Amino acid sequence: MTGSTSPALASAHDVELAALAAAGSRPAFGELVRRHSSAVRGLLRRMGADAALADDLAQDAFLAGFEQVADFRGEGAFQGWIKRIAARLYVRRLRKDARVDLMSETPEPHPPHAGEGAAADRIDLDEALKMLSAAERVCISLCYGAGLSHAEVAEALNAPLGTVKSHVKRGLDKLKQRLAPVGRGEDEDQVAGRPVHG
Amino acid sequence: MADLEFETRLDRLFAEPPHFPDAPLFALKVDERLNRGWTLRRLVIGALGLVGGVIGVAQIMSSGVLGKLQFVSNASTKSLNDLAALAPAKLSLPALPFGGEALWMSALLAILALGFALTRAIKEI
Repeated sequence: MTGSTSPALASAHDVELAALAAAGSRPAFGELVRRHSSAVRGLLRRMGADAALADDLAQDAFLAGFEQVADFRGEGAFQGWIKRIAARLYVRRLRKDARVDLMSETPEPHPPHAGEGAAADRIDLDEALKMLSAAERVCISLCYGAGLSHAEVAEALNAPLGTVKSHVKRGLDKLKQRLAPVGRGEDEDQVAGRPVHG
Repeated sequence: MADLEFETRLDRLFAEPPHFPDAPLFALKVDERLNRGWTLRRLVIGALGLVGGVIGVAQIMSSGVLGKLQFVSNASTKSLNDLAALAPAKLSLPALPFGGEALWMSALLAILALGFALTRAIKEI
């Protein structure tokens, strides 16, 4: 596995690459790492991991993925599969360190910035996630970033299903306010007499 | 904004990965860790094999199996000698319906067929 990749691997589908990796092809797995590392690292950061921890766990997730790649049958997307492995590793780390109190309601205050377009939306998402409590952030990221159901999140976090649903609901409400369409936010700001941030 | 619409939007936002300029470096680090894992695994398997081999040889030597093998070898030599005494003094190949070359060719073909069969069996396994 190096920085470059062969044209045959570059044009292969993820399922083909996974099958080759399951047969022991490390270049094929390297291509999968190249394709999906940003998504995995991004998810871990959105869940609340700092940059160094996110990268360490993303590497761990890919190593675990290589060991288990024979279990990937191609029913879903490879990216979703590897993201779920990474998310569960992060949750395990949180539980081990007891860093997330699922009963906590305290949000982490962070000054919001307004923006426009898809890039601004993405920045907004990263910024908006910082306004949630740690538990809300983890629950939202597991549901919408890793594609886990509420029940799977509850199982992963070893928390009651109702608690998880509450965190998701509260998190969604906060995100909805933060990620509201730009026009609406400006109108509200003007009505309230607040300055509009560009 | 309807809940479903917002959730779809959220799915889309989460699906857009951020850009990491150091992505190639990250891939190299994963590769290095995979290499390290394989090297360690090979070393452990090699060491375990060596230890197992040493223990096996020690067990064979201590069980006196070499003396028993010597006894079996002597007994088989004696039996073969007895059998040779009963056999005709000379096996006459010209008495067979084919020549000596045909016998050698048959043996060679049999060995080739056995090798082919073994190769196929190993591939199947």
